[in-house]
Amino acid sequence: MKVKIGFEIHLQLATERKMYCDCPTNYQDVHPNTNVCPICTGMPGSKPLSPNERVVDAAIEIAFMLGCEVITDQTVYIQRKHYDYPDLPSGYQRTSLPIALGGELQGVRIREVHLEEDPGQYDPVAGTVDYNRSGVPLVEVVTEPDIRSPEEARSFLRTLTRVLEYTGKVRPEAGGAMRADVNISLEGGGRVEVKNINSVRGAYRALKFEILRQREKLKRGEVVVRETRAYLESQMITVSMRGKELEEDYRYIPDPDIFPLILDKARVETVKKQMVEAPHLREQRLVKQYRISPAAAGVIVSERELADLFEAVAKEVDPKLAATWFQTKLKKVLNYMKLRAADIKFTPNQLARLLQMVGRKRVTPEQGELVLRELVKEPAEPEELLRKLGLAPLERAELEAAVAKTLKENPKAVEDYLKGRKEALNFLAGKVMKLTRGRADPRRISKLLRAKLRGKGKRRKISRRKARSRVSRA
Amino acid sequence: MGRETLEKLDAIRRGELSAVENVQRALERIKKQDKRIKAFIELNPNALAEAEAIDRMLKRGERVGKLAGLAIGVKSNLNVTGLRATCASRTLEDYVSTYDAEVVKRVRAEGGIVVGMNNMDEFACGSSGETSAFSPTDNPAAPGHIPGGSSSGGGASIAAGLCDLCLGTDTGGSIRNPASHCGVVGVKPTYGLVPRQGLIDLGMSLDQIGPIAPDVQGAALLLETIAGKTPNECVMLDVERVSYMSRLEGDGAKGMRIGISPKFAELTDPAVMGIIDGAVEKLRELGAEVVEVELPNLERGLPAYYLIVSVEFFSATRKFDGRKYGKRIEEVCGEEVLRRILRGRYISRKEYRGKYYQRALQVRTLIRQELMRALERVDVIVGPTVPKLPHKIGEKISVSAMYAYDYLTVPANLAGICGGVIKAGDVSGIPVGLQIQGKVLGELDVLKVMRALEAAA
Repeated sequence: MKVKIGFEIHLQLATERKMYCDCPTNYQDVHPNTNVCPICTGMPGSKPLSPNERVVDAAIEIAFMLGCEVITDQTVYIQRKHYDYPDLPSGYQRTSLPIALGGELQGVRIREVHLEEDPGQYDPVAGTVDYNRSGVPLVEVVTEPDIRSPEEARSFLRTLTRVLEYTGKVRPEAGGAMRADVNISLEGGGRVEVKNINSVRGAYRALKFEILRQREKLKRGEVVVRETRAYLESQMITVSMRGKELEEDYRYIPDPDIFPLILDKARVETVKKQMVEAPHLREQRLVKQYRISPAAAGVIVSERELADLFEAVAKEVDPKLAATWFQTKLKKVLNYMKLRAADIKFTPNQLARLLQMVGRKRVTPEQGELVLRELVKEPAEPEELLRKLGLAPLERAELEAAVAKTLKENPKAVEDYLKGRKEALNFLAGKVMKLTRGRADPRRISKLLRAKLRGKGKRRKISRRKARSRVSRA
Repeated sequence: MGRETLEKLDAIRRGELSAVENVQRALERIKKQDKRIKAFIELNPNALAEAEAIDRMLKRGERVGKLAGLAIGVKSNLNVTGLRATCASRTLEDYVSTYDAEVVKRVRAEGGIVVGMNNMDEFACGSSGETSAFSPTDNPAAPGHIPGGSSSGGGASIAAGLCDLCLGTDTGGSIRNPASHCGVVGVKPTYGLVPRQGLIDLGMSLDQIGPIAPDVQGAALLLETIAGKTPNECVMLDVERVSYMSRLEGDGAKGMRIGISPKFAELTDPAVMGIIDGAVEKLRELGAEVVEVELPNLERGLPAYYLIVSVEFFSATRKFDGRKYGKRIEEVCGEEVLRRILRGRYISRKEYRGKYYQRALQVRTLIRQELMRALERVDVIVGPTVPKLPHKIGEKISVSAMYAYDYLTVPANLAGICGGVIKAGDVSGIPVGLQIQGKVLGELDVLKVMRALEAAA
């Protein structure tokens, strides 16, 4: 059975001020009802200010990120969407007509992008409303029903979140800021809208449940009716909210208190010029420009700050080496420490110098990783960190002495090796490592050991021949 | 004639009359007469203290504002910190404002003293003053008759001399209508000239705040004080400040082109029209050139207006859901308010989109174009304000008869142009006001014509 899934996704825009007043938007950090004014609490007589310009610019940037065409030089009305709920101080929500149309992301067509405002937060148990969130700007992204499975949906939402977070214009999902409504229909059934989805995981689960429910109904010859359902996070199921005949009528009217938006071409072009590169485009560029693998590039662009850091470092060192380090070691260290690239405190220069040392084999990759961990924890010059970790590079003489000592103290292993038991080399190398307290490159140790052992074998053969000749002469 | 306001201001500045005395007298008059008139809902307990502050400034020789010491009445749909903005409705009877409307801030900054909150038609829905949830207001100029509405308290206050100036609001005639019935001066400014921040909505795309005054100079002074844009509001014209006072007199009406329309006589009671014709004749005598203009669709404005205002009012009242202010509007309001809410709810339904509201907006465009075209040929259009004389308080009239009071005033709101009203005469003792409609931002022309008539009276 063919499945069709489409999304309406709301994300909070990360502006400092609300959409129609000057109140701050950090609603999670402050006491209830402190980031409020007559406008965002809808006091009688209050009128909205002009829409926050930064909000509009952010939405334009997001629309471009999603490959949309921004509607320029036309009036875009901001409408009142009326409904009755305690969190809505004026009894309507302001929502713009589309500011952009017709994009595409990961094979999913984007129908439109428009602006909305967040309502307050209602606590039905306590019966209280906190208006700190009221008027925080939202961008709504509407897709076509191009998604075919919950897995595809999950992957799409992840990509979308990544792309939008990349702009730095939306609040990261960590704050629970993503809210989505999903439309889902199976071949032969009506379209069902599921509301109240608050995370990527929630979307996946709701879809899993809905497909199961609708498929079973259709199998039994029942009808899947067109309706609106709510997802219950705690039980991972959806329940019916209202049927088609009870569809809410929002009685949209253009808000008479706000001039319609007109996005003039010059402004839109300015935003386009100043905006950050979309991650999928950047990925392609990095592959081409630095001749690195698509896999590495994919990891590097996963966070904007990571990609910025890479490009800064790649100026100083071999980009391929840098790419490998970003893909494997840096990402690993960050994941282990549960950090985001945005949290990195060290300078690109410090990382570049570390990689230069690795490139010139002054330190081993293993040591380098130890230094990198320190660098993430407590940034300092890599040389200093090497000293601190007791990893100052070994002098050749010191290494040779350690090798000589090891060979002398382990005649049995030497014997074994010379008899052809190659694993004895690992044993010897381990001993050298121990003697040098891990400061020497294992590859260098093995190389030196093999050379010395080869020498011993030769000498032995020669001495045997000599012995033989002595016997024959006798 | 017509120097009352300026003479009082001079007396206060010269110390012949203290601000305290002025406010005290206003409060005494209100105390004595308002039991009968019902022009005020609530008085400002700090009014005298505010007047004392003005007197102290004057005594110290400090500069005072241009309204220093005047007693101002404020319509009850405007927010004044600490006073109740009831909109003369049970819905908001306990709502105490937490902030000053922008116009109130400006009045106070110029030394005006808010003496109290004026009575009005409930949520400004009415043309008679009778829909107030508290009490109808009497017409001091024609006792026993309605004062007009919805700024009924403002019109009555000025007519009875209860205070010096009033702030009214006009959505479809709510300043001009009571000004006409009470025989006082009222101005509805160009839409977007005066900030609405703090005005409790009736129809957002139509509402304007304006002055009600005993004389033209008083109206001009108050309008100067409140006009001009603020960054705290979106839908405003790009006008910094206006000044009329120095340019009011000049040549009077001489050389001005004044438009009249045969449409007015069609819609108006002959007795009222007789007074209006007399005023037009006087303007001609004063040197104005009278020109006939075409307003063929004028009467179509009224039904369009009631559709638009109902949809916007329905939207505006959604916040009165009983959660924040204790009472859900539909449960406590009077029948005219309910009628408009239900009408707005009905015609804004999805299935009627395009049928009513959209059509009404098309008519609005038509009216606007018609008035703009006429105003290209003339400086102002003069005519009657209200087609009929006011009825007696309590007299039952039909809804359509009540709405018919607004035929001649709603076009200016639909078009967004300005309009002023000044007394032209009376019919058996009941005042009749002449309406002067001006261009967008044509307030000065309107005021000049009014001042010329006033000076010649």
